[in-house]
Amino acid sequence: MGTPLDLFAAASAEGAWTVTEVTRRARAVIEAGLPALWIRGEVTGFKAWRSGHWYFSLRDKTAQISCVMFQSDNRGLPAPPAEGTQVFVFARPTIYDAKGDFQLNVRELLSTEQGGLWKLALEKAKAALRKDGLLDPARKRRLPAFPRRIAVVTSPDGAALRDIEVVVTRRWPMAELVLVAAKVQGEGAEASVCAALARLTKGGLDVDVAIVGRGGGAAEDLWTFNSERVARALAAVSVPVISAVGHETDVTLCDLVADLRAPTPSAAAEAATPDQAEVLVHLERLGERLARGLSQRSQRAVDRLDRTGDRLTGAIQSRLEQSRALLTAHSAHLEALSPLKILARGYAVARDEKGRVLKRVKQLPSGREFTLRVTDGEVDARVR
Amino acid sequence: MPGFGEQLERLEAIVRQLEAEDLDLDEALKLFEEGVERLRAAREQLTQAEGKVKKALKGEGPGR
Repeated sequence: MGTPLDLFAAASAEGAWTVTEVTRRARAVIEAGLPALWIRGEVTGFKAWRSGHWYFSLRDKTAQISCVMFQSDNRGLPAPPAEGTQVFVFARPTIYDAKGDFQLNVRELLSTEQGGLWKLALEKAKAALRKDGLLDPARKRRLPAFPRRIAVVTSPDGAALRDIEVVVTRRWPMAELVLVAAKVQGEGAEASVCAALARLTKGGLDVDVAIVGRGGGAAEDLWTFNSERVARALAAVSVPVISAVGHETDVTLCDLVADLRAPTPSAAAEAATPDQAEVLVHLERLGERLARGLSQRSQRAVDRLDRTGDRLTGAIQSRLEQSRALLTAHSAHLEALSPLKILARGYAVARDEKGRVLKRVKQLPSGREFTLRVTDGEVDARVR
Repeated sequence: MPGFGEQLERLEAIVRQLEAEDLDLDEALKLFEEGVERLRAAREQLTQAEGKVKKALKGEGPGR
């Protein structure tokens, strides 16, 4: 802590300290007496420098302190605090030598509002996604009814994968699960999930639906899925995506962009697959309808054949009856006209040797021989 | 082999056609035969599917 304070020497002009000396001494006293601590106050005069460092003040009703939050400390935060927000900072009180200012070197910053800064960042990202139409409900694609290959973007050793596998095996075992491993939380998770999502489209995986998920966990672990970058990567996937981030209460950006949001990985797997038992029942019904359809169709054919046969028989019968009636009528008429009837009444027909009928006196000169046909036979005759 | 979805869609179309349309008996028979074949194939796909999940899991390496 430097040389002991020689109040006696400093009390005279000859023993005067330099500005630097007294500033350093003051800093040493403050840093020794005030360790890093949590401080509560309202943000005012916020300024982010090009270097990435943040400068602002914290104040309450009666006092104000300058604060600096270096880029290395603030880069983990989603957004700068808004003017006037109540925040908690974890900071080391010190003196900025160059200006002689008492200030706080802020290491951590938390908004007092629920979700505070994160909420703000989320709203901003949401607005950006909305502006680009990525939250439009019309964008949501229908999931395939009978998926062949289902991609699962998750941690290879997380519970999510196990849960999904169990459900798919039970409901729709004909689907293949393709694990696209990704780091879903912690350092580098954003980039890892983005890369995995890009693989769904460009990796030649030939899947027809994808589940992006993780097991339950603390709200902070959801940050990866609240990243605008991850949300945009998800929106760019060429097949329908189900988000299963595993948090009932918080809806993440990925949930909003996904084609379907499932509360858990198991629920996502249920949504992605039909139930094979139900499908089997449906198949049986189709089989019955198929058989019934054909038998009805053949019955119609038989009926039609029967009807045609009946009509044919009917037609022939009536035709026969007509002919018979006609025949009866004709034969009566014929009978009436028969010459034998006339002969029976006592008339006779004279014919020459050639059978020609002799009707006139001229044809019957004296001595002419002819035959005479009477009702019961013929006789030869001669004119006298 | 067509996927299960296409198989089922075609089967449903056949059933509808057989139920609704007045087809030639010949045509109806042909449809029926195709329907039976697709039904058989679909049922087979459904029941012979066990165990595919794990195979695929092992087949795919982690994506980085």
